[in-house]
Amino acid sequence: MSIATTAYNAIFKRNSVYVGSVFAAAFAFGIGFDSGVTAFWDSWNKGKQWKDIRHKYVQDEE
Amino acid sequence: MASFQAVKKSINLVPTVRALPSGVPAAPLLNLKTRAPADHHGHGHGSSGPRSDVPPSWVGGVSKSHYSLSTKTYTTVLPATGFQQRLLHTSAVVQDAPEVPDFSNYRAPNTDNNRTLSYFMVGTMGVLSASVAKSSVSEFLKTMAASADVLALAKVEVDLSAIPEGKNVIIKWRGKPVFIRHRTQSEIEEARSADWKTFRDPEPDEARAKKPEWLVMLGVCTHLGCVPIGEAGDFGGWFCPCHGSHYDISGRARKGPAPLNLEVPAHDFNDAEGKLVIG
Repeated sequence: MSIATTAYNAIFKRNSVYVGSVFAAAFAFGIGFDSGVTAFWDSWNKGKQWKDIRHKYVQDEE
Repeated sequence: MASFQAVKKSINLVPTVRALPSGVPAAPLLNLKTRAPADHHGHGHGSSGPRSDVPPSWVGGVSKSHYSLSTKTYTTVLPATGFQQRLLHTSAVVQDAPEVPDFSNYRAPNTDNNRTLSYFMVGTMGVLSASVAKSSVSEFLKTMAASADVLALAKVEVDLSAIPEGKNVIIKWRGKPVFIRHRTQSEIEEARSADWKTFRDPEPDEARAKKPEWLVMLGVCTHLGCVPIGEAGDFGGWFCPCHGSHYDISGRARKGPAPLNLEVPAHDFNDAEGKLVIG
């Protein structure tokens, strides 16, 4: 059986499974999208954020 | 006779049949459908049967339209001699489904891939829409949440090591006084041994103090909102000077007009740093 037929039988055949996997994929996509955008933001603004320069001003007393 | 001739010449009789411009004779009241009655004549000489010389209507007959007067015969009589089928003709060959091109070159050899791709694209659209809807709703709900500066003011940290045993501390939290008492062992026993089920607002001491030696309460009298005085009253706890409510060492209303026990705010102990976090 080809990949297309396997995927069809696994996901698309029953509407309940289809909708459920759509929501599950939306959940995973939301998390992935957020972390991806955050990682891009941090790399784009590297050295400008407080968490990057905090060690210059605050010495943790150990 | 001569006079008759003269009369005949002087009168124009209307012709019974005239011709239309198309050449068809117009006979307005001429009913060509009339046939001889198939039954008896009905005028007294008995049954005679249909006339034998009238052809039946399915054979054909004369018909009149607005433009033509025609006669048709629906029966076919085979030609008597010289019949020959004409095989040479210029008309198109009759096909089963004419004018339909051959699409076989354009048809997908395997429709499973196309079906799965279509469902996949629809599902991807659904995933994106669901993500957009979810983030719209959650971002809108975030606008109703308290901002960071409000949240920072909503909590108070108290260093518990600065409070010796048997002492009260009053701090301000969200504009209200909060009593913190470091209870002695005898006070804890007194609070726990009291028969709390008979009180006005029955509540065990275990439900009020998360740690038995620390009692944290809002310092607002439940009667009318005065601030009670610590280490006073008949029960060794708090006493409200306004209307004389007495609270015991667990902050429970024991005497006077107060209807409820002193309220315990949400609080947590930070054991690592020895701090109390109210809020």
